[in-house]
Amino acid sequence: MSTFRIKFLVVFLFAILSGETVMAQQNANQILRAVYLKSQKAKDYSVLANIKVDMPFIRMLPIDAKIYFKQKDKFKVESKSIAIVPRQGFDQSSKMLADTNSFTAIMQGNELINGTLTNIINIIPLSDTSDLILGKLWIDNKQNVVLKSQLTTKSNGTILMEYTYGAQLLYGLPDKMIFSVDVKKFKIPKSVSGDINNSSTETPDKTKDPKKGKIYITLTNYQINKGVPDTIFKK
Amino acid sequence: MFWKSTYNEFLKIAAKPRSYIGVGAITLIVGIILFAMKVDGHNFISFVTQPFEQSLSFEGKILNGNLIAFIILQMLIIHVPLLIALVTGDLVSGEGAMGTIRLLLTKPISRTSILFSKYLAGCAYTLIILLWLVFLALVVGKIIFGTGDLMVLNSEGLVILQEKDLAWRFLSGFSMAFLSLVMIATLSLTLSCFSENSIGPIVSTMAIIILFTIIGALDVPVLQKIQPFLFTTHMVTWRNFFEDPLPVDKIISSAIILFVHIIGLLAIAVYKFNRKDILA
Amino acid sequence: MSDSEEKIVEVKHLVKHYGKFHAVEDVSFDVFRGDVFGFLGPNGAGKSTTIRTLLSLIKPTKGEIRLFGKDLIKNRNYILQRIGCIVEKPDFYKYLSAEKNIEIFARLSGVTVTKSKVHEIIEFVGLKGREKDKLGGFSHGMKQRLGIAQTLIHDPELIILDEPTTGLDPQGIIDIRNLILQLKNERNKTVLLSSHILSEIELIANRMVIISKGKTIVQGSVSELLNAQELVVSFSVDNIEKAKQLLGSLPEKNIIDKIEDKNLLLHISQENIPVINKLFCDNDINVFSIEAKRKLEDYFLKLINT
Repeated sequence: MSTFRIKFLVVFLFAILSGETVMAQQNANQILRAVYLKSQKAKDYSVLANIKVDMPFIRMLPIDAKIYFKQKDKFKVESKSIAIVPRQGFDQSSKMLADTNSFTAIMQGNELINGTLTNIINIIPLSDTSDLILGKLWIDNKQNVVLKSQLTTKSNGTILMEYTYGAQLLYGLPDKMIFSVDVKKFKIPKSVSGDINNSSTETPDKTKDPKKGKIYITLTNYQINKGVPDTIFKK
Repeated sequence: MFWKSTYNEFLKIAAKPRSYIGVGAITLIVGIILFAMKVDGHNFISFVTQPFEQSLSFEGKILNGNLIAFIILQMLIIHVPLLIALVTGDLVSGEGAMGTIRLLLTKPISRTSILFSKYLAGCAYTLIILLWLVFLALVVGKIIFGTGDLMVLNSEGLVILQEKDLAWRFLSGFSMAFLSLVMIATLSLTLSCFSENSIGPIVSTMAIIILFTIIGALDVPVLQKIQPFLFTTHMVTWRNFFEDPLPVDKIISSAIILFVHIIGLLAIAVYKFNRKDILA
Repeated sequence: MSDSEEKIVEVKHLVKHYGKFHAVEDVSFDVFRGDVFGFLGPNGAGKSTTIRTLLSLIKPTKGEIRLFGKDLIKNRNYILQRIGCIVEKPDFYKYLSAEKNIEIFARLSGVTVTKSKVHEIIEFVGLKGREKDKLGGFSHGMKQRLGIAQTLIHDPELIILDEPTTGLDPQGIIDIRNLILQLKNERNKTVLLSSHILSEIELIANRMVIISKGKTIVQGSVSELLNAQELVVSFSVDNIEKAKQLLGSLPEKNIIDKIEDKNLLLHISQENIPVINKLFCDNDINVFSIEAKRKLEDYFLKLINT
């Protein structure tokens, strides 16, 4: 093959790969943009939540709460009982997607989740000072909703979230959420517990993964775009 | 005659100035705790929830009257036993010190009846002290802090109990606490039968509690064999009513051990009191 | 002599040991109904131990005690219901009033006692108006009176008083003496009292027992025991020497015990007092006073030192 042909082949391949990368990036951004736009359909909502905590070191019965949300980032959990929720809140994904200039989104392929084909998109923050270290989203791009997300932050570690949708798919609001957190760093201060004569012979519950804990949130009775007063979000 | 004697003993307890030290001390200590929690309670909560807060957030009214009541109950470990012993430790030895025992034991009532009437009056005093503590902790605590779920931290982690589930737990916990305090009253009364002055039984009771508590906390193999049988190990059994699931076996065995202690100590007291020559 | 032959108290060969120490070795005596019975002995003789044993405050090592015809150990409550007592000093609850103290002990006495009865008995012992006062402010004499009140509140048959006049002033001692006589004469009580004031026993007791070192030395009627002994009589005269000469001429020898100033102390029987008095008067010796001295005291000291 002549030198000219080899050079042409190299340039051609380079162009295609670059173009694919650019296209992949453009596709990822488009997908994320579509997800974001869908999430903006609900200007505000209130929803009844049943929160069940399944975690080592924590024992509690499922409790009922009410969650309020108002664009762009007002969020409140109201409960007569003590509720345990993920520190990052429920809307971390859409918060992150609001500012597309703060990260680079890269397609990482596909995965089937419960029979639904999803695009896997990695989110890499552009700023060194960002709390987010790495994000990974599994997106159903037919419905433009996030089915799963994994966010690693400096302040809160890694949290995995799974979403199931039902009646409020139109607004991108889930019926069910499962949060998985890393619990191995929970250390119980003995001096606080007052168990000075602790002669417990209980063996640790081996059915629970000592490293992971889950929070199951079931959401019902959404009231979307009915108006939520700002006073609710004041403590 | 027994009930008349019990009525007498209760009148005597009610008339003694020292009986009100317990009431005053509890009011003061609970008042201090209520004030401290009102001013700085949220920092205390943060200290408890801090191990979990990197990943989790706690919503809802954690600092409420139920939590305050639970914190105040912790006093049962050291403070309230001393206040109980202050009165019950004086029931027999105080009569000797005052000289009234000479008149008392020349009345047509058996020594056993006299001893049991003192014991019953002492238990009634114990109940009053506990009820006062309950009132301050639960009623006043709820007036100041409101009500809500109870979050308990023990060495195995966090237990969150719903408000509607708390009434029977507190009732059972206080009942168990009453049994623990009756154990203390029995111990101090028994020691009182061996003494001619009031200070001895009170100091001895506290010394025994402190010694057994230390033995119970040491991780030494030879001591671990006796730890389950020390009454101090079971004085915190009331906390088991705030576990989930409820450790029923532990609670029953603790109650049995405390009962055995009470009966054994009473038997010693009856024997000693009946055989004692009154030389005072 | 006792008024009756019914034995209220029977103590037979009472023994009490505290390890090697023998507090009571062998004490026996009887008290009859209506007696004012004196219980005498030096310090450490075992009086208090004996009385405490009678009241079931102390358990005897050996011996038999019967009160009202019944064994003390088997019939304790029956017996104690019929006894009122003060053991050593009467101690009460300082933080209670006089009235409340009496009520507390009355409640245990086995009979129903009303508030009016309490007030009546407090008035009887001379403490009217002090019913509501706390015992902390009472003098020793007042506490002693209150002690008598609690002794009587349930109208007992037998009253046991252990050193009832200890710490009292002369008026207090007279009051207690009169009270005891009143109890015997007006209320038909039997009284057992121990005392160190021998003259008091001599004045009020009709029967007595003397113990020493834990043992009974002698018991019986006071007058019989004392009349069997010679008296020591003091004659105060103006001419001792002449009196001595006269006495030396009598057939009885060694009747002069001693001479103190202008007093002649003579060992004579009661019947010879007027005889000696007449002898002095007939011989122009003026007699200023005649006094029988140290009767029971001498007798007591003689007994315990033999």
